[in-house]
Amino acid sequence: MAYDDFAATEWMAGSAPGALHKPRELDIRFTGSGSEYFRIWIVNLLLTLVTLTLYLPFARARRMAYFQNNTLVGGDPLGFHADPWKMFRGYLLVLVLGVGYWAVSNFMPAFAWAALLVFMVLWPALWRASLQFRLRNTSWRGVRLAFLGDLKSAYLTLLPFFLPALAFVLFLPNLPDGEEVDPEAIQRGLTIVGVVVLGFLAALPWLMVRIKRYQHGGYAFAQERAELTVGAGRFYGLFFKVLGVTLLTLLLAGVVGAVAAGAFMAFGALTLGELFGSGASRGVFAMVAMVFVAGLAYLILPLIVGPYVSSRLQNLLWGHTSSPRVQFQSTLRFGPLLRVTLVNWLLILLTLGLFWPFAKVRATRVRLEALSLQVQGDVDHWVAEAQTPGQGVLGDAAGDFFGLDMGL
Amino acid sequence: MSTPGSLDTQWFDGRSPRARPASLRIEGNELLLGTDDGQVRRYPVKAVRWPERTTHGQRQTELPDGGLVQHANAAEWDAWWRASGLHERAVVGWMQSWRATLVALAGSVAFLAAAWVWGVPWLSQALTHLVPASVEVAIGEQSLEQLDRLFLAPSRLPQARQNALRQRFASVVERAYPEGDAPAWQLSFHRSELLGANAFALPGGAIVMTDELVELLDDQPDAIVGVLAHELGHVQHRHGLDLMVRASLVSALVGVVLGDASGFLATVPATLATQSYSRDAERQADAHSALLLHRSGIPPAVMAVFFERLLEEEGVDLPDAKPGPKAPTRDDAGAKPDEEGDALPIAISSHPDHAARIRFFREWQASAP
Repeated sequence: MAYDDFAATEWMAGSAPGALHKPRELDIRFTGSGSEYFRIWIVNLLLTLVTLTLYLPFARARRMAYFQNNTLVGGDPLGFHADPWKMFRGYLLVLVLGVGYWAVSNFMPAFAWAALLVFMVLWPALWRASLQFRLRNTSWRGVRLAFLGDLKSAYLTLLPFFLPALAFVLFLPNLPDGEEVDPEAIQRGLTIVGVVVLGFLAALPWLMVRIKRYQHGGYAFAQERAELTVGAGRFYGLFFKVLGVTLLTLLLAGVVGAVAAGAFMAFGALTLGELFGSGASRGVFAMVAMVFVAGLAYLILPLIVGPYVSSRLQNLLWGHTSSPRVQFQSTLRFGPLLRVTLVNWLLILLTLGLFWPFAKVRATRVRLEALSLQVQGDVDHWVAEAQTPGQGVLGDAAGDFFGLDMGL
Repeated sequence: MSTPGSLDTQWFDGRSPRARPASLRIEGNELLLGTDDGQVRRYPVKAVRWPERTTHGQRQTELPDGGLVQHANAAEWDAWWRASGLHERAVVGWMQSWRATLVALAGSVAFLAAAWVWGVPWLSQALTHLVPASVEVAIGEQSLEQLDRLFLAPSRLPQARQNALRQRFASVVERAYPEGDAPAWQLSFHRSELLGANAFALPGGAIVMTDELVELLDDQPDAIVGVLAHELGHVQHRHGLDLMVRASLVSALVGVVLGDASGFLATVPATLATQSYSRDAERQADAHSALLLHRSGIPPAVMAVFFERLLEEEGVDLPDAKPGPKAPTRDDAGAKPDEEGDALPIAISSHPDHAARIRFFREWQASAP
């Protein structure tokens, strides 16, 4: 689900007056170049560093403008119009909030719950403001997009995510300090933790589909308002598929690891003996092997399951996003995305990170060019709704600052 | 429409997605937009949001009234724009030049290196000094409570033994700080199978030593004092707080560099950086320990025994260590690689390697004072 930050802006595109035209297919092309983004990235980086991050919103505006400007929907680029000075104000405010949150959770852990509470109260509003800001500042053919989701739904959609934390605070018995802990209390605590975690996991697909419905259902362009017509059932299906792929990947990694370890042992038994000294305990070796397998899983999961999730999720979401006169399609295949992801990370490692901007451009191209939309009638005759410019700066900065993925 | 200095282009009025032909011309401080309905709109050049020059991508110009000029042929646009006497910002030129980009790359690397060597330590010192002692004590108490819950059990050492060790250490501290300016410390003993032979200092001066460590050095009370002096070094330099701040600064820095590179690779540089700072702190604490022992007339070399025994426990033979009977290997925090480092920033786990430390204590010489 690591959609790129700017994908949140994914446009709506138009619809047409009820004319009896044949549906017209608008393809999406991405014309950004890795080497050009590399130069933008480096210069932005230097300016951000020497200004002690104050330049960040300006760098961000430039990056967004570059990516949107190179996203052609039916041949016309998306526009990015956010005022970097407004983003700067939002950035300062969020910086203050973020440092406050950090200070409280580090220096006054006892009050972490208060910080969490403030976060809970603010976050849905910031999230909505961020979506509004992003869409309002994105245009296609000169017409601004809009996000029309309401505040109440934002809270109803996001608050369930805080329930587990709340449940822990409310139901977990406060263990007495220092004294011997009653084993029964531990048992009870573990049961509560288990029940809450399992319950949350079981509800997760349902919660996700609500988020996505709110998000996609808020997108609007001219008189068209999008709708996500996907049931929770499809999300549960995807959830189990992802679970299956994860287990399969882990199993494969385990087998490969075991075979490698076996071969290693067979060939290098002597060397191993020397390595761990004559008194080498099997425990040490087992520990090394376990660390190795855990590391492998840690590396492999994002590399394989990540692209799987993002391809399937993109297809599921955008394939079911439509408005009266617009229907999106997404045909992102797992194979090509996997290949791009693997090559990207390999090159990022080999170049000590310098390949990062190229990687980002490549991944963006694969993802975006898998999207297209069908429009009924002639877009030229649509008319934009009245715009209310100006608000929502803070939300945008918050989305970036807290690194919440606003993509899908 | 092709008057000299004018450019035929595409215009959107901001309300309808319909593209309309238009022509642009700069006159003095004004941009003139002639549209197909025969009107000429005028905008102050400064109020127009001009596009930045890029090699890829079209040119989109935002007009103050919400209109948009969109020009697909970037080269043609750039030529017209320059011919009209407008100037781009320097930064746009840098991004189009590979030479400037390489200079910027070198500058970034230099900045990061300087931040790493001087910036982060200096800033974290400054920030740490801003934290009042009472807050530091509170942080220490809270972490101790947490550790207590997770790892520690009440000590089984006889009270007399605990008091004797405390007394012994107190007198060493007294001798080392004749003016009574030693940092405040409180020593407590706990049993912990998980941590094994271990000791750590928490912000605010709480020093925790495990029963297992006392048992390991049962016949070497001077080495126990040395370990405590090491922990007092952490207290004196406020390493707990310092490392906490440094870790946050480093992850902020990594966040800035990698931007939105969410994910697992971003944690690698942050972890490496934090571990390196942590080893610096250990060296500082070792130096403190050696100095304290020396001032009390104890040769710092007594500490070598401690590390030798840790190595023995790990089942590694040192050439110069006594080949004593192997203790059954148990999971010993002192032996584990750095995974413990996050939970216990000052636990012995994230320390430099034992052999190097044995050498350090053996070869230590009193320098200036």
